[in-house]
Amino acid sequence: MELKVFYPQENPLQRARARLSGLVSFLLGCALALPQIAWSSETPVRQSGKPSVSFQEFTLKNGLRVILSEDHAAPTYSICVTYNVGSRDERPGRTGFAHLFEHMMFQGSANVGKGEHFILVLNNGGSANGTTNADRTNYFETLPANQLELGIFLEADRMRALDVTQANFDNQHHTVQEERRLNYDNRPYGRTAETVLDTAYDNFAYKHSTIGSMEDLNAARIDDARAFFRTYYAPNNATLSLVGDFQTETALALIKRYFESIPSQPSPPVPDMTEPEQTGERRKSLEDAFAQAPRIDIAYKIKQGNTPDWYALRMLGHIMAGDLSSHLYQKLVKELELVVSVSAAPDERRGTSLFRISLVVRPDKSLQEVERFVHEEIERLKKEPPADWELDKVRMKFRRQQAQELYSSLSRANALGHYAVYYNDPDLINTALDKIAQVTKADLQRVADTYLRESNRTVVTTVPKSKAATKG
Amino acid sequence: MSKRPLGNILSCFRFHPSSLLSGVLALTMAALIARPLFVSGQEDSSSVRPSNVERKNKAPLSTETLRVHLPKPVEAKLANGLTVLILEDHRLPSVLAELHLRRAGALFEPDNLSGLASATAQMLREGTHKRSSRQIAEELDRLGASVGAGASFGSIETVFTASGLSENFDAWFAVASDILLRPSFPAAELNQLKERAKVQLRQQRASAGFLAGERFNRALFGGHPAGVVTATLESINALTPDLLTKWHRERYSPQNSVLAVAGDVSPSELLPKLEKWLGEWRGARGSQRIPPNPVPASARKVYLVDRPDSVQTSLTVGNIAIDRRSEDFVPMVVMNHLLGGGPAARLFLNLREEKGYTYGAYSSFTALQYPGPWRAGADVRTEVTDGALTELFNEIRRIQESKVGEAELAETKRSVVAGFALALEQPARVLGFALTRKFYNLADDYWDNYPAKIAAVTADDVQRVAGKYLNPEAMQIVAVGDGRKIRPILEKFGAVEVYDSEGKRIP
Repeated sequence: MELKVFYPQENPLQRARARLSGLVSFLLGCALALPQIAWSSETPVRQSGKPSVSFQEFTLKNGLRVILSEDHAAPTYSICVTYNVGSRDERPGRTGFAHLFEHMMFQGSANVGKGEHFILVLNNGGSANGTTNADRTNYFETLPANQLELGIFLEADRMRALDVTQANFDNQHHTVQEERRLNYDNRPYGRTAETVLDTAYDNFAYKHSTIGSMEDLNAARIDDARAFFRTYYAPNNATLSLVGDFQTETALALIKRYFESIPSQPSPPVPDMTEPEQTGERRKSLEDAFAQAPRIDIAYKIKQGNTPDWYALRMLGHIMAGDLSSHLYQKLVKELELVVSVSAAPDERRGTSLFRISLVVRPDKSLQEVERFVHEEIERLKKEPPADWELDKVRMKFRRQQAQELYSSLSRANALGHYAVYYNDPDLINTALDKIAQVTKADLQRVADTYLRESNRTVVTTVPKSKAATKG
Repeated sequence: MSKRPLGNILSCFRFHPSSLLSGVLALTMAALIARPLFVSGQEDSSSVRPSNVERKNKAPLSTETLRVHLPKPVEAKLANGLTVLILEDHRLPSVLAELHLRRAGALFEPDNLSGLASATAQMLREGTHKRSSRQIAEELDRLGASVGAGASFGSIETVFTASGLSENFDAWFAVASDILLRPSFPAAELNQLKERAKVQLRQQRASAGFLAGERFNRALFGGHPAGVVTATLESINALTPDLLTKWHRERYSPQNSVLAVAGDVSPSELLPKLEKWLGEWRGARGSQRIPPNPVPASARKVYLVDRPDSVQTSLTVGNIAIDRRSEDFVPMVVMNHLLGGGPAARLFLNLREEKGYTYGAYSSFTALQYPGPWRAGADVRTEVTDGALTELFNEIRRIQESKVGEAELAETKRSVVAGFALALEQPARVLGFALTRKFYNLADDYWDNYPAKIAAVTADDVQRVAGKYLNPEAMQIVAVGDGRKIRPILEKFGAVEVYDSEGKRIP
């Protein structure tokens, strides 16, 4: 789960069209800055070979990690600064703070006024956003190639000298509380994910949600923000990734000019991520005022991301419920008509992750029956491996997905930052796919056996409020 | 100049020291930079943005000219009358195909069969004369391809899409053709689909956004087919394999359709294949006549959708505005962008950045074959419903009553043009532009001239279209939230009609 500083809405031009296709996604405002514009007569030429991302790494004197990936396929570039801080670094009583702080990063700095960040980026043809999850916080812009200096300047200015004022802090307080209401408190199943985390985890780091509680958001103080900035928003706690249409030398010189004099800080405290082994099934049921159909969420504690077991679980999840030919979809949605939707996948965390199965059950069907089928399916997977074609289809699926993701400079910049901060290995952008491809049938059986056990399981059921009341 | 390789580029911006090199367009676009982009240390005094925005104007900005390549898809017609657009783009080893069936949209559904177009579209994958639903699912998943179709309410078309890797294009496109041309609409599968649809009918009522859209469209369009946003229990029950078969036979016609393909293909190789796969498809050109235009409301009305336990009020205000062929489309784009087009627009800066009422406030408009809605809205905490609604109307009146400053206008236009130009990098978007041009009979050079048209929009134009198409006195206001708390507030804004979350009017 990742929170954004705002949700881009559809571009009016796109809206004006009679609706192209749900399969085609696009970035709003992802655009090019044109003081002046002229048509060129370039024509596309065939490019071949396996898609891969080449990059160079540097470390500035103040500890800032810099990853540059020059690519002239399109006249744009993306910059992403990934800070090694997320909601796992929060302390009790201050949940939601990492994300609230992320909002403050758009409120102005020494040389950028309040509200000016978006104006500068959007009016020069770009897009910008910031996101926070449990393990990291990132900030990014996509801009036309001729505005290289602008993106570097904007990121450096706020890393060097953020302008935290009481008025802005109060304002973003409200904004984040509305974000919480919109996405959690005013919609069906809004509290389900929080309940799963709270029930499954023992360690505070992942036990609480990134959005945080209303009480804690209310308790946040401006002094907390200043201290948080000093501790975590230091160059030695960040990775800058830059991908797209620039000359590496020029870009590096600009990055040095704007970033290198930002002083480093003592290393921030490393959060304790130890998670005790679970010794028995945990169950919880909650009532939901808005849900119209009950939902079952089953979570198993698993290893952190980028481990052989995690990749095997990724493939297993896809075989279980990743597409229309998957086991649970065919069985529970089509054949038995018990559920409306089903999903199964591991989340990716730097510490103990969760393999999550989620099912929206038809209002007239039995939750127990649905759950029993899921457990039976898991037991079967432990004994009988999936067919060869199923492993092949998942490999094909991820290959296609990756090719699509590598298309945009922004997803490459974000992925480089992600892999650098999570695993200290940005080259995973090229090698993660092989790690999924190498998963064998034996691996699938092994991880099903190791992790998908009753004693390692958390089951949360969400039932519509009125129903619960009549059941008494 | 950079030593960028010429070649592997779909759309390219190049920077020239002089605008003379870039011809007419560059000269027109100079209007956008009549005011210098970057004046160090000077505050822009003509800006009328909310006072909470502070401009330090210290960021380094480039003023170089950019050259943009607008790729043009190849156009062809198959023997059966199907129009084909092909855009070559070899940056990715994949292909996307979109078939726009321009007579198979929900707008043409009989009143009592809402959902017929959508059900037909969704049932295509559930069986052909050669393949079962499960075989289709397995075959497409093995090939790593995505195939599906959908029909949205209010639209004249069903859109069928197929995409996958280019290396096995022939294999997945053959399956897609079978699905498109020879669906068998098995009764058992249809019954399953209907049961799933009934659960979805119920589920959608949990969403404040759905409830707002349902009431808003009804309020604006009344009995016009565009007022329909959902099927009903009765209309779903009425669907039969025969009705779907008939809809498919009569309305999926090659002569009324356009197939758009983008990606790793070449037209000369693709066209013979399309003849092979789709050549047998027959069907006469049918009428695409749409119902008479909706009649705009003459008075303001407030609709409260009571959703107990809500902690926010979901606000939508708006009225019927323009169709896609309107002369005022371009100034409307600029006006709307300035008012509510994103995080640098007035609504966001006022309701979020200044007041802290909401996570986001935006406006948008839809322009199709018939005049569609312009709308503005925000989800706000219940306690500030009054203030938020007041500010929405304040911003609407402000853009009508006072002329926008030159700087704000220039920045807005620059942002619109920039957004357009960057979209050209994405083949699907380029195809989208070509399709829009075809569907609405716009001039051949419509998109070539689009930036110049945006540049020509004046402050007077913005004020004129705001005055002409936004009608606050006759706007429809929809509020979804906790009725007990917000009803007295809403009454200050007009006569209130109350509905429950099932869509039924409460006296």
